[in-house]
Amino acid sequence: MIAETGFFLLLFSFAAAVYSALASLVGARRAHGEKLIVSGRNAAYLTTALVTASLGMLLAGLLRQDYQIAYVWSVTNPDMNAFYRLTALWGSQAGSLLFWSFLMSLFAAISIAFAWRRFHALVPYAITVMMVTVAFFVGLSVFLENPFERWWLAGGTGDVMRSVLMPAGAFAPDSLNLQGSAQGLNPMLRHWAMAIHPPLLYLGFVGFIIPFAYAVGALASGNLSTDWIKATRRFTLVAWMFLSLGLLLGGRWAYDVLGWGGYWGWDPVENAAFLPWLAGTALLHSTTIQEKRGMLKTWNLSLVVLTFSAVIFGTFATRSGLVESVHSFARSEIGFPMFVFWFGLTLVAVLLIIWRRGRGELRAEHEFQGLLSRESLFVLNNVVFVALFIAVFWGSFGAPILSELVMNTNITLGADYFMRVTPPLFAALYILMGVAPLSGWGVTSLRRLGRAALIPLVLTLASLGLFALAGMSTALSYVAYFVVLLAGWVAIVETARGIAARRRAHKENVVTSAWQLFGRNPRRYGGYMIHLGMTVIGIGVIGSTLFQVETQRTLQPGQTLELGGYTMRYDGLLANQVAEDGRLMDIAQVAVLRDGRELANLRPRRDFYPQSEGTNSMTIAGSHSTLENDFYVLLVNWEPINANQATFKVYINPLINWIWTGGLILIAGTFLAAYPKDVVSERARQSVALAKPGQLARKGA
Amino acid sequence: MADTLTNHAPTAPEPAETAAAEPSRRRLGPGTIALIAAIVVAGAIIALALARQGQTQPTGGAAADFEFTTFDGETMRLSDLRGKVVVMNFWASWCGPCRDEAPELQAAWEHYQVSGDVAFLGVAYADNGPRSVAYLDEFGVTYLNAPDLGTRVSELYHIQGVPETFIINQDGEIEQFIFAGITSEGLRRIIDPLLQEG
Amino acid sequence: MARLLKLVLIAALCLTATLALAQDTPAEVTADQVNAVAEKLYCPVCENIPLDTCGTAACADWRNEIKLQLEAGMTPDEVITDFVRRFGDRVVGIPQDPALNALTMVTVVAVIGAALLGGVYFLLRNRRPRQPEPAIPAPAEGAAPASNAYYDLLRQDVEG
Repeated sequence: MIAETGFFLLLFSFAAAVYSALASLVGARRAHGEKLIVSGRNAAYLTTALVTASLGMLLAGLLRQDYQIAYVWSVTNPDMNAFYRLTALWGSQAGSLLFWSFLMSLFAAISIAFAWRRFHALVPYAITVMMVTVAFFVGLSVFLENPFERWWLAGGTGDVMRSVLMPAGAFAPDSLNLQGSAQGLNPMLRHWAMAIHPPLLYLGFVGFIIPFAYAVGALASGNLSTDWIKATRRFTLVAWMFLSLGLLLGGRWAYDVLGWGGYWGWDPVENAAFLPWLAGTALLHSTTIQEKRGMLKTWNLSLVVLTFSAVIFGTFATRSGLVESVHSFARSEIGFPMFVFWFGLTLVAVLLIIWRRGRGELRAEHEFQGLLSRESLFVLNNVVFVALFIAVFWGSFGAPILSELVMNTNITLGADYFMRVTPPLFAALYILMGVAPLSGWGVTSLRRLGRAALIPLVLTLASLGLFALAGMSTALSYVAYFVVLLAGWVAIVETARGIAARRRAHKENVVTSAWQLFGRNPRRYGGYMIHLGMTVIGIGVIGSTLFQVETQRTLQPGQTLELGGYTMRYDGLLANQVAEDGRLMDIAQVAVLRDGRELANLRPRRDFYPQSEGTNSMTIAGSHSTLENDFYVLLVNWEPINANQATFKVYINPLINWIWTGGLILIAGTFLAAYPKDVVSERARQSVALAKPGQLARKGA
Repeated sequence: MADTLTNHAPTAPEPAETAAAEPSRRRLGPGTIALIAAIVVAGAIIALALARQGQTQPTGGAAADFEFTTFDGETMRLSDLRGKVVVMNFWASWCGPCRDEAPELQAAWEHYQVSGDVAFLGVAYADNGPRSVAYLDEFGVTYLNAPDLGTRVSELYHIQGVPETFIINQDGEIEQFIFAGITSEGLRRIIDPLLQEG
Repeated sequence: MARLLKLVLIAALCLTATLALAQDTPAEVTADQVNAVAEKLYCPVCENIPLDTCGTAACADWRNEIKLQLEAGMTPDEVITDFVRRFGDRVVGIPQDPALNALTMVTVVAVIGAALLGGVYFLLRNRRPRQPEPAIPAPAEGAAPASNAYYDLLRQDVEG
């Protein structure tokens, strides 16, 4: 019953989404189409409700262990706990597609409610774009990847069949039999980071439909003011944050579960998620220029299209088997429909931009004033982001696809390629991150920049001195850290300057003035905080990339190995431990010592899932984490492991925990930047009006 | 704060509507055409790649020809075996199921060897020379065997792993693709009818 | 034919190495040395996983082969080149074949270069024609119709 209900809810939501898209479009084109527009909006809300209810049915099936449903059978088994049953919702293609549609319809409904009054001209077209997309993804679920299909046995032959409704003459198989053969969630997905990484990534992905939909709304309606940016800025920011977190948690998952001592493998699927992040980050910066200076209108629209196009492309590449990777879903029929959708959406949006531009409606209201002005630096920032986008796209998709087509040779570009091409570009970004905040809108002289940069420069050099004391020796690392630290110190110093200026003017204590300052310009100080987070992440990435050391050794109990000042002792093995979910574990017990003092007892282990098909074993690292580094131990699973000997691969990953810490700062910064200022802005404007321009300009340096 | 700015924006909805009323048809510039062309070409390339990605092991039609050099140093082409039924087996020394198949293949080969109507060709996929030779010695394999240098043959036949086997008829057409689990018996059931037809 | 000779040669080398190993154990190649080479290689049965961290039988076999080749006195670069010769350019992170290498590296550098130049060109072209800029834009400046708005922004910037 659950399956049928869920399926029909989904079917109705498909119809509602199609109706909503059509009604909104027709209503917007007609002179007196308001009724239709309202009707289209209501249908959009209804779509969201129906998709949500349908998802609820699938969830109920998973939690109630209804193994008659093929999806439930393939991703859960009786040994799994309720938490993993919940996460099994996105554990495989069909479920994750439905989950994706759910998130997208949810975003759509929220954005409609938000923009309905204030940006009424844009909303109908935006609804059309969002509902076409929702209808497409729901349609994939309904027609190709149906999560509600059930198992049936044919009456005469007993052949196994899958369909939602009972085929003629068929009967349902025995529940207990099904339960016995249920496969359970892919072991690799049984990890806390994996439980939240896909939802965060999807939230990031689908969130970018909002700026895209409203940008297309602007193009279609002719309201090419900054309305579309204002209507969507917060959504973009939140989507960006979720995407950032999704990427970070994906890295964390790889680090904990995949067992290769790293967090980012430049795998095509990872890169497919990274591409929208690059375009989206560029977008967040360049829309500011349009808001403040009325420039780059065409560029911003193009960037929105690029971002969402990259989202759909990534989804399509990951789910169609266009590229093969550890992360990809199994091959399926949805490849071509997704390709057509991606291509159509991109082409229509680009043609709209060309059309409006051809009519001269996207002219800039200002010109660039000097290469050091903030808008010029933002343009450079955008150029570098786009260059990174190209480099990553080319390495993951362009070159492999072309070499296969043109030269009939399979190639896969690995970390070698990316570590050669991208670091200079990342360095350029960090340099711009350091310089741009010091520069002003309009015009900026080199002298002014130099003066503003003085304190951050001194602080950066001082921190580099600390690194030197810690024994850092390579020239490359000094350059890398200089660039990254400068960006962070600029963010900190600029914030401190703001607080100090406010304290002087208002005679407040530090906390109050910081609070007031952040409240009045959350975007600016949220931005600085995000920059600081990026610096902290950069510190971790550079440390763990340049200074990672590793060794592999086979030890007998009682034997030790030395690495980077640490000693590791193998104490013994707990073989064939049975966990409650049925997996078998070989657990090695090792002690980590430094200067003869025992720091930690680690339990690196090898898990084996006898019931799972495909990947059925995992190496789970044991790790001793400090701010300084991770002492990370893996049991090497291709070597014999027994009570007499075990082979370990040991890594020291310096500063790696800074990456996760930076992620937390990033969240805080995003929340600040997205903080609704409208409440306080009126009061702020009034108080500013009292001050004289001259004073302000002086303080502004 | 940007509200004040946008008041000056020349692109408010109203002027846009009036502009739409004028029949101002501008021709597309070369840059625009190039942009659209680039998007279409990129789309076509990706579509083509997707179509090729979907390609699986051929189960019929002409068997793609290739040159190979056997472990014994003999260089020949698949088409040189035209007129015989060819059993082409992809294997590797590190592959467990291949070890189950090896004696079966050898037994079938010995069965047909005298007649000369059937050729067996082993292709060692992603395997190293000395290991492959040791494997062949271990199972006493005597039919043609060659390394797949550069994994070109495997790509030609879109194999997904090893062992995989193709049966090619006397006219050089693929008769059957077998995913895994070959037995001598099973091979004979496929080959004998082909020999009778020919 | 030359390929085959090389193959036989390597086979012979490996065999001698194994034999030598059985007899008097020469300088042993450590797992770390093997991993240093393996991390630059990718095996065709495990997509995008470097060889040093891949657990499949094929990978274990390949690592063993690296060990044998290193023990036979081949340098890491020679080992990698030999793997490319036998298994194709997909086994390395950047293809060695000149045409493929050009396709990947030259193209990307050219495209990125073009993007950067394009950006700078855009800035220069859209620059306001030479005009001495006062440090603070005077309110009288007629060229910018939004100068009042600009002042608002400045205030906000400073105060906020």
